[in-house]
Amino acid sequence: MALKDNEFYKMWFKDAWPYITGAVLLSAFQVFTLASTGSPWGVSGVLANWGAWLYEAVGGTVDKWYYFASVGAQRTLEGGFLSDTGSMRNVGIILGALFATLMASQFKIKKIKSWRQIAAAVLGGLAMGYGARIGFGCNIGALFSGISSFSVSGWVYAIFLFAGAYVGSKLLVKFFM
Amino acid sequence: MAEYELDCLGEACPIPLVKAEKKLAELEIGDLLIVLIDHSCAMKNVPEWARKEGHNVEIEEVDDGEWECVIEKVK
Repeated sequence: MALKDNEFYKMWFKDAWPYITGAVLLSAFQVFTLASTGSPWGVSGVLANWGAWLYEAVGGTVDKWYYFASVGAQRTLEGGFLSDTGSMRNVGIILGALFATLMASQFKIKKIKSWRQIAAAVLGGLAMGYGARIGFGCNIGALFSGISSFSVSGWVYAIFLFAGAYVGSKLLVKFFM
Repeated sequence: MAEYELDCLGEACPIPLVKAEKKLAELEIGDLLIVLIDHSCAMKNVPEWARKEGHNVEIEEVDDGEWECVIEKVK
C-alpha cells in the first residue's frame, strides 16, 4: 500500500487536524512554556530582538533606544540568539511548519501575481509589526497569552482585532478583487 | 453546459473564496466552475462554502500543494 493511502499518514500528516486538537495542544504547550521559561508564549517581541541583532551586526547600536532600555531587554540582547528561549521557539515554529508541509507533500514556492501583493505584504507587515510592538504584543503575546493569563487587556485586544479585521477585509476586497 | 476556469494560483485567503463566489453567481445552472488553488486554507473553505450552498463539489490534489476544486452549479 502506498504511503499516501495509509489512514494514519492521512490522519497525522495529510489532513488538517481538528480545531479542538489544536486548541488542546496550544493550551498544553502554553502551560509548558510558562512553567519552563517563566514567561507566556510570545512571537513578535522576539522579532524585535532579531531586528536589533541584525542592526548590531551591521554596526548599529540600540543601547540608547527606549524600547531596549530595560535591564531585561539588555540582558536578552547581550545573551545572544542561541541563549534566547523565544528565538529558539520562533525557529522551531518555522522549522515545524516546514516539516508539516513537507510531510503533507504540499510544499510549493508560489509565484507573486502582482505588485499589489508585494505592496500589501510590505505595508501589512510594517503595520502589524509596529502595532504589535506599540501594543506590547501580537495575537499570540497580547491575545492568546493575555486571555490565558486572565488579563482584561487580552479581551480588549480581541475587540479591536475584530474591528481591524473588518476594515482589513473591506480593503482587501477593494484592492484585490 | 459550459465549463469555466478560475485561476487563483498565488492568491491567499480569502481571495479565492470571494472570487469563486462572484464567478459562480454569473454562471448558469449546470455549468462547471474549476477553481485552481495553491493555498491550503482556500482548499478547505472554497469546497466548504460550495457544499453549504448545495452545489456538487469535488476537490483533487493535482500537484504538490496545488488543487482543483470543481463546482457544479445546481441551483
